[in-house]
Amino acid sequence: MAAIEVRGLWKAFGDNQVLKGIDLDVAAGTTLVVLGASGSGKTVLLKHVIGLLKPDRGTVRVEGLEISRLEGRELTEARRAFGMVFQGSALFDSMTVFENVAFPLREKRRGIDRDELRARVVEKLRVVDLGEEILDLWPAQLSGGMKKRVSLARALVAEPTVVLYDEPTTGLDPITTDYVDAMIDQAKERLGVTSMVISHDIASAFKVADRLAVLYDGRIAAQGTPGEVRASADPYVRKFLALWFGKQ
Amino acid sequence: MTVLSRLRAALEDFGQLVLFGGETLAWAARPPWRWELLVAQMAAIGVGSTLIVAVTGLFSGMVLALQGNYALGQFGAQGYTGGFVAVSLTRELAPVFTALMITGRSGSAISTELGTMRVTEQIDAMETMAVSPVQYLAVPRVAASLVMFPVLTVVFGAVGYLGAYLIGIQVSQIPPAPFIDHTRSMVEVRDLMHGLSKSLVFGAVVSLICCYRGYAAHGGARGVGEGTTRAVVMSSIAILVFDYLMTFISIGG
Repeated sequence: MAAIEVRGLWKAFGDNQVLKGIDLDVAAGTTLVVLGASGSGKTVLLKHVIGLLKPDRGTVRVEGLEISRLEGRELTEARRAFGMVFQGSALFDSMTVFENVAFPLREKRRGIDRDELRARVVEKLRVVDLGEEILDLWPAQLSGGMKKRVSLARALVAEPTVVLYDEPTTGLDPITTDYVDAMIDQAKERLGVTSMVISHDIASAFKVADRLAVLYDGRIAAQGTPGEVRASADPYVRKFLALWFGKQ
Repeated sequence: MTVLSRLRAALEDFGQLVLFGGETLAWAARPPWRWELLVAQMAAIGVGSTLIVAVTGLFSGMVLALQGNYALGQFGAQGYTGGFVAVSLTRELAPVFTALMITGRSGSAISTELGTMRVTEQIDAMETMAVSPVQYLAVPRVAASLVMFPVLTVVFGAVGYLGAYLIGIQVSQIPPAPFIDHTRSMVEVRDLMHGLSKSLVFGAVVSLICCYRGYAAHGGARGVGEGTTRAVVMSSIAILVFDYLMTFISIGG
């Protein structure tokens, strides 16, 4: 059974039909990258997977649970399986780095021992190559790349089984982009998580993906292994990929 | 936009606010209760507003003493100034002015903070971490307001009466004994209850409006600014409307 299963997903905002029947599967422990231009509905798709949005039609199942039907407390409980890295990092700016990374764990296990909490936070920061010296810094004192890494540590600290990445490399320099790609791979290899990455960064998509899906005009224009997608005959996919591969 | 569609949008918005209030109430009843957040909000709303509330109270009391002495003096009834000031403060001015001052100082801050968290996806992030943002952000702010509005109303009233006493005795030369005696005979427990129940209602209404306007903010920095403006305007109007309604219910037409 696939860890994430999307079936016939439709969503409109007013007159704007954003998703038009999406079908997707992500096998457990693998990384799916959904590629698409701005405005193709990528983020809307991702927000359905974690239940921030409700579909007009269709279903979303994550590890057997029908997320698209859950409400209130059940949905909150179901989200314990997730970690999410936001495009703008979305670190809590009224909390220090330590408090940010500790937050999901502290909420998941209320009354957790302070020493254990600290040990777990430091351990996850080490996974993203950050040291204890930044624990007491505020998000405003970090660079964009560091924020991204802290937000990855925060997404991983409560040991989720599914990690979602919303445009993880947007706005980063090439070196940090490379670094974030490596982090996504590491989270998969070392922690065995299932990952879904939303991106318009073609180079980085081909680097981290086990499978790729290209989203165009609310539909999946192509999906498969990176090799299969590259060989796709779909005119939009060819045009989109040529933007990158044409340059190579 | 036509008048009809604007009316519809306003009604929808009001409906959302009521739903938000219901959601806040439902989450308040569920554990975990985060006492540390409640204490932090009580400090932010209460302690932070004490000085401005006390200063407003002092001047209101002093002005009331001058006006009361002037008006009552025309009937040779200066001695009643103490009672007049105390009843006005207790039933009306303390709860209303306190609520207006807290709205300007803390309500706007609540709306801006939550609005910024919304547009930078911090609220979404919290939700993805299996934490209800309504429970984490709105519940402590509303609960802290329910405690601090009445407390600050008492501060306003006490400082106001003190100011009135000083001006009444020192400036207007009213003898202290009738000033205090008439206060005792005119202010009843039900006046105190009336004023405090107003402040409780204002606390609930203002904090819910300010949380909701931040929570529903969208569209970047500009959206946050608009949300805050609307929060302060809506709260101020709501205070005056509820003040009228509660006064009407209490003493009738």
